[in-house]
This record gives sequence, C-alpha cells and structure tokens, in this order.
Amino acid sequence: MNKLLRHTEVVEAIPAGSTIAIGGSSLSRKPMSLVRALAARGAGDFRLIVDVGGPEVDLLLGTRKVSRVVYAFVGFEIMGLAPNFRRAREQQTTEFEEWTEFTVMAGLDATVKNVPFLPTHAGLGTDVLTVNPSFRLFQDPIEGETLVAVPALKPDFALIHVNLADPFGNGVILGDGHVDVLCAKAARHTILSAERIVSPEELQRYGRDVQIHRIHVDAVVEAAWGAHFTGCAPYYRADLAHVQAYLAAARTPETWDAYCARYVTDVPADYIQAVGGPEELVGRLEV
Amino acid sequence: MDYSVDELMIAAMARELSGEVMVSSVTALGALSAYLAKRTHAPELAVLSTPESGMEVTPMPTLTLGQFMTDAQRGIPLTMEDIFDAIFLDRFRIWINPAQIDRFGNVNITAIGPWASPRVAMVGSRGIPEDTSHLSAILYYVTNHSPRTVVERVDFRSGAGYGPDRERLLGQRGAPTRLVTNLGVFDFNGPDHSLAVLSLHPGVSREAVQEATGFPLSFSDDGRMDETPPPSENDLAIIRASDPLEVRKLEFLGGREAAERLVQIYERERQAMRAALWQNRGRLR
Repeated sequence: MNKLLRHTEVVEAIPAGSTIAIGGSSLSRKPMSLVRALAARGAGDFRLIVDVGGPEVDLLLGTRKVSRVVYAFVGFEIMGLAPNFRRAREQQTTEFEEWTEFTVMAGLDATVKNVPFLPTHAGLGTDVLTVNPSFRLFQDPIEGETLVAVPALKPDFALIHVNLADPFGNGVILGDGHVDVLCAKAARHTILSAERIVSPEELQRYGRDVQIHRIHVDAVVEAAWGAHFTGCAPYYRADLAHVQAYLAAARTPETWDAYCARYVTDVPADYIQAVGGPEELVGRLEV
Repeated sequence: MDYSVDELMIAAMARELSGEVMVSSVTALGALSAYLAKRTHAPELAVLSTPESGMEVTPMPTLTLGQFMTDAQRGIPLTMEDIFDAIFLDRFRIWINPAQIDRFGNVNITAIGPWASPRVAMVGSRGIPEDTSHLSAILYYVTNHSPRTVVERVDFRSGAGYGPDRERLLGQRGAPTRLVTNLGVFDFNGPDHSLAVLSLHPGVSREAVQEATGFPLSFSDDGRMDETPPPSENDLAIIRASDPLEVRKLEFLGGREAAERLVQIYERERQAMRAALWQNRGRLR
C-alpha cells in the first residue's frame, strides 16, 4: 500500500507513446517537477491531454517529447503566448486537437462514468466543431435537439501536484481544484507529487480538502516546490520572474538549450538550488 | 474630475452587470468592473476573485492569474463543476477580451490565419464556446479598437456570434449582447444582427470609430449619437482604491512591456499583502 517512489522511478514507468493527462491550470499548481523529469528522459512521443495548459505543455513541446496535444488553452496569461506551443502549431511539427474547457472535463467524465460520450451544447456555432474531428453532432432521442457528443478521453497516466499526500495516495488540495479530480479518476494510472508527505492521521484532519482518494492513485513522490515556476496556493505564488526568464530563453535555440541544461536536465533537488534555493524562494514567493 | 480610458471602460462595463449571478474575474478590467458594479448599483452580484473561485471577497486584479493567496482572499471556494453549472443555468457573467471580434459578434482567441497552419497561434478557445451556447448576456471588450481587432470576419470562431450556424443550432442562447471598446459602446442590433454604435466615448467622432473598424458600422438614424457617460467621482474612487498598483493599465500595453510591468506590480502586491497579513495577525492576538 505504500506508494512512495522517486521521480526517476515514476517517469521510467511511463512508456513512450503514453497518453498523459496533466492537472493544474495555466500558471497554477502544475506538476512541474514530474514534467521536468519526463522532459529530461530519452523517449517521449507522449500524447498530452490538458484543459487549461501552460508551462507544462510548452516545456514538453520544447524538449520534443510530444506527438499530440488535446487542449482547451495553452498560454502564459498576460505574461505572453506559450513560445514552444506557438512554434509547434505554426510549423505543424506536432498534432493538435482543440477542445474547450468543459468538453475536456466531459471527455474525462465520460471515461469515469464508463460511457462512450457525454452530450452538451458547448461548441455549437464555433469552429472548434469544424476543426476537431473527434466531436460528433447528433439528434437527441428525448427532445430532438442537435447536441454535441463529446467522446471519452482515456488517459493512460495522470500527473497531479497536491499540497499534501499520505504514502497511500490520498491527496489534499488547498487552492482551486481545477480538473485534477477528474484527471485522477479517468486515468488508468495516477501519479501524485506532493509538497509534503504526511501521515494518514494528519491528512484526515483536512476533511473535504482531501480531494484525491487513494483508490485512484498508483504512485506518490515528495516534491517540495514541485509546482515551481507555477504557483501552489496558498504556499507560494507563481514565479513570474522565472516565467520571464523562460520566455526570454525560448526565443532562440541556443538560449533554449542553455535553459534546459540548467533547469531541466538535472532534477529534482538541483533544480531548487538552480532557481535560488529554498530560502530565496520563500523570500520571493511566499505571502 | 480627470479620468483615463481604462476607467471610462470599467465604468461602462460595470453598468452592464446586475442580478444574482456569478461574475468571473479572468482579466483586470473584468474583475474591476464586477467589483465596481457590486459596490454601486448591483450589490447582489456574486463576484469571484479568480477565474474559478473565491466568491464574496474583494477581487485583486493580479489574482486573475488564477489562485488565491491568503485566507483573507479565499472567500467561498468553488469547483470547476460549480462554474460550468452556473454557465449552463445562465447564472454567470464574464467580460471576455477577444483578439478579434467581427461584424456579427463572432470572436477569436485561437489563431490568426488558418487553424491548421496559423500565421500566429494564440491560446485556444478555453471556455468561450460554453458561454456562447448558454448565456443570455455575452459581454466583450477590446482595449485597442482597430481594423485588426474589430474585423469583417474572424479567422476562427472561438465564440459563436450571429450567422446561419446560430440560427440553425442555438437561437438566441449565447448570442453576443455588448461590446465595449476604447472608442465606444456597441450592441448587435444593426442589420442582420450586425455591430451598431450605442454610444461613443467623449471626444470620439463617428469618422474616427468608422476608420478604426474593419467594416461599415451602423449608427442610429437620427444622426445624434449618445455620448458614453463618464465615470462618477465615486466610481473613480472605488476603481483606484481596489487597483492601487494599476494592473488595469497593463491591458493597454504591448505584450512584453505589460509582462515587465506586471512582474514589478506582482512583487509590490505581495509585499502589501504580507504587511496586511501580519497586521491582522497582530490584531487577532
């Protein structure tokens, strides 16, 4: 029942070509230490599923680990467009499928509910339906309306970062939950990273904040600052200075390679030192 | 009293919000207009402090990055299911700022050029398709009204405006209702539901707004255009007190400059929050 593993053990267990759903939302609580570990290994060809994506998709695209992306959004909010996502879209080096925020949730939920699709009106009248061949229009048998059939999304793995976890895979999320519970339930295998591992007794004190349940979880890794450079509320904010450095580095192949050598290839303990060490991070990012 | 265009727009946007509905705060202008409306004519609004949570607290404009930071900002927590349930039940409002909006209110945040081989790949439709298939008020704003942003036809429909698809599949559900730009306030009551001027901001001429628009605009027939009412002194006091670091101005700047300014503001905001937090702790003791 003890599911504690190291980052390297976990990412080695993910076969090339796997479909991976990633939790978090834009610059919030992305499982970045797991993503860096994936980006640092050899084989990739991953097929990503994200609802509101950001640095995690961009980093995996920039390190050529991705063959396909299902997304509702990929960006860095007001900080800018996602540079590697943008390049991959414009140069058509990767396969993309545009979904929407609710339909990604519905696709995951269809898998959870063990049905082939879920119906919605979302997307009608937009070009998402024109460019996305996965959606089908159908005549609803009850009232005769035209609806969108959102097919089940079936991730092999889900990567989720939480505030606290016990060794059995129960996880506490203290900030916005995003779509992480759906990812955890829909994936065949779910991997949690947690800021801190605590005993089951301590974890139970968090009541409803224990959002991830161990029956859906296969592995747990401890990762202090594991969401950096995205934020992990209420512990620390997104590191916008690092976001700037990332975006600047992504402008040329040379600076991008240098960024990856410094921050991606050596994981995970060295990363925290590379971005300034725990004390500096506390000073910069805690409220 | 002196005011700037961001404040004029926020006041105009606030006037469009009322009722016991959730209002999401995805941008600084959206958050501030919701908060202003709540503090003036619409106390019943359930304003969120982030795109997905924190109901019933004062929004902080940088929280639109998507997370609350302290217990004081937490408010009532929500889930993504709560958000989409409110959208599907039409108890939700949001101000959306698209990269392009067209004559019939279709909007684009996905791509410039063809979707499969874009000249500029932007971000992806996010939750706009959900809004434009369900809500009875669809609210857009544009901070740089020009022929590149207010266009004859969007390159990609991230959100459904008027047109044959709407007629066939949606009817009025999720149809565009308002556009506020740096030049004026518009609705979609022109011929065939095309964009029409409701009011022009003080100092903006009909010629200027027409020149900034990528298609022929409709004006009201009597030839006398209303002028957008300026923000009141009370409006300005509320806007400036809730956004002392002027995050609202960033939406009028170019990409890299806005990012640089935000990084500075973000750190100043953290220090202010930290000071307030310690002050509160002192009081509790």
